[in-house]
Amino acid sequence: MKIGKTCVGCAQCATFCKTDAIKVKGKALIMDVCIECGICAEYCPMKAIEVSI
Amino acid sequence: MNNVAKPRAIIIGAGLGGLLSAAKLATSGYEVEVFERLPMIGGRFTNIEYKGFALSTGALHMLPHGPTGPLAQMLKSVGADVNIVRSDPMAVIRLPLIDGDNDYTNGYKDIPFRNFSDPLSATNRLKIAVLMLTTRVFPPKKGSLEECFSRYVKDEWLVKLADSFCGWSLSLRGADTSAKEAFSIFSNLYRYSGSGVPIGGCKAVVDALVDVITSNGGTIHTGKDVSEILIENGKAVGILVDGAEHFSDLVISNIGHVETDRLYNNIEPSEEYQQYLEQLKKIKPSAGVKICLAADEPLIGHGGVLLTPYARRVNGINEVTNIDPNLAPPGKHLTVSHQCVQWDKLDELEQEIELGLQDIKEIFAGKKYEVLLIQSHSGEWPVNRSASGLDVNVKNSTPFKNLFIVGDGAKGEGGIEVEGIALGVANVMERIL
Repeated sequence: MKIGKTCVGCAQCATFCKTDAIKVKGKALIMDVCIECGICAEYCPMKAIEVSI
Repeated sequence: MNNVAKPRAIIIGAGLGGLLSAAKLATSGYEVEVFERLPMIGGRFTNIEYKGFALSTGALHMLPHGPTGPLAQMLKSVGADVNIVRSDPMAVIRLPLIDGDNDYTNGYKDIPFRNFSDPLSATNRLKIAVLMLTTRVFPPKKGSLEECFSRYVKDEWLVKLADSFCGWSLSLRGADTSAKEAFSIFSNLYRYSGSGVPIGGCKAVVDALVDVITSNGGTIHTGKDVSEILIENGKAVGILVDGAEHFSDLVISNIGHVETDRLYNNIEPSEEYQQYLEQLKKIKPSAGVKICLAADEPLIGHGGVLLTPYARRVNGINEVTNIDPNLAPPGKHLTVSHQCVQWDKLDELEQEIELGLQDIKEIFAGKKYEVLLIQSHSGEWPVNRSASGLDVNVKNSTPFKNLFIVGDGAKGEGGIEVEGIALGVANVMERIL
């Protein structure tokens, strides 16, 4: 997963993440425990999350 | 039953403005279809469960004018069943304990909002009372709220209070809030009174509206991104979704003027359209940061707003679990602060958040809490798509017939946040129905 420039830090991704892998303070940051499920990207209102695969 | 086909309305965006419009139209004989790009309904006005707490996607679980405001009235008029409980006290102002202190490090005292002029000298108290009365009859037409105050009563306290009030309710500084808009808001506070909490939070409002829409034959599609608004001969005739055309008699966009304008193709650049584009250049979204706290003991102890004019960044805080305990796990409280982020500080957002966190430490010194989540809003996912007072010129119309804009990018005058959305929708419905 990659966080793009359009991220505003609304943290919607973090609330839908099942593995608590996203920390947000002004911008989202994806931690190692991410399982690449991609649910965060679906709910991102800014289309800021790029799924790696 | 007659066989006359119902007029069709398409609504872009299932946020509060879109759902209110859909509910109004569905209960007025329209066949309504709502298209939402996200997989969820409610936009920045619904709940998301996080660690057992009902956080919100944007708005605070609070309606600025409570059970008697424009939003509550509109919900009632469409038969949306929401229980809105008035906050009591409605708002409290936190002052430093020791007069002359400029922060809360030596403790604090709280005063009711109606006593806001207490920290002023007797002369300035009188001046402000006269100003509040005269502006009800002769509202100022020009300048910012801060300029207006300083013209009549030069006092540092009023600047702080205006920043705190405007920051909490509009996510703007007093210097960035038009005096005209501010005094419209004050007169609405007299007319409709102060805040309230919908039991069940923002989502209770959204769920009730969805019920009204679907039980009146309306449809709401999620995960459907509208790629174009179809315009023919100066009239909106439908939309394009996933390459398929959907035709309608009416298109209502809940995504703001600026974002809606990107959805037209091959428009004749008429003079009216050029003028409209000029107006759109004045629209700027407002930005803010919300810090969600979890606590075992109440940090505030009531369901009203705690305004914090002496904090560095935090403008105000609420604790809605004092009114609806179910918005947090049993025995816990949900306390949420809001701070306006000035436009020139958006590049230093992390620092702004850090200052907000320090404020909270001082405001709740000696109390135990945990930071649950920090939510920032700006740009195209802002606090308001148009900062209050900047959307008053364009209002809800577009240069195209049968196409209207609702939502927080096209609020009604003097309408704080969601109340402004309801007033904007009411304006549109007056034109259509």
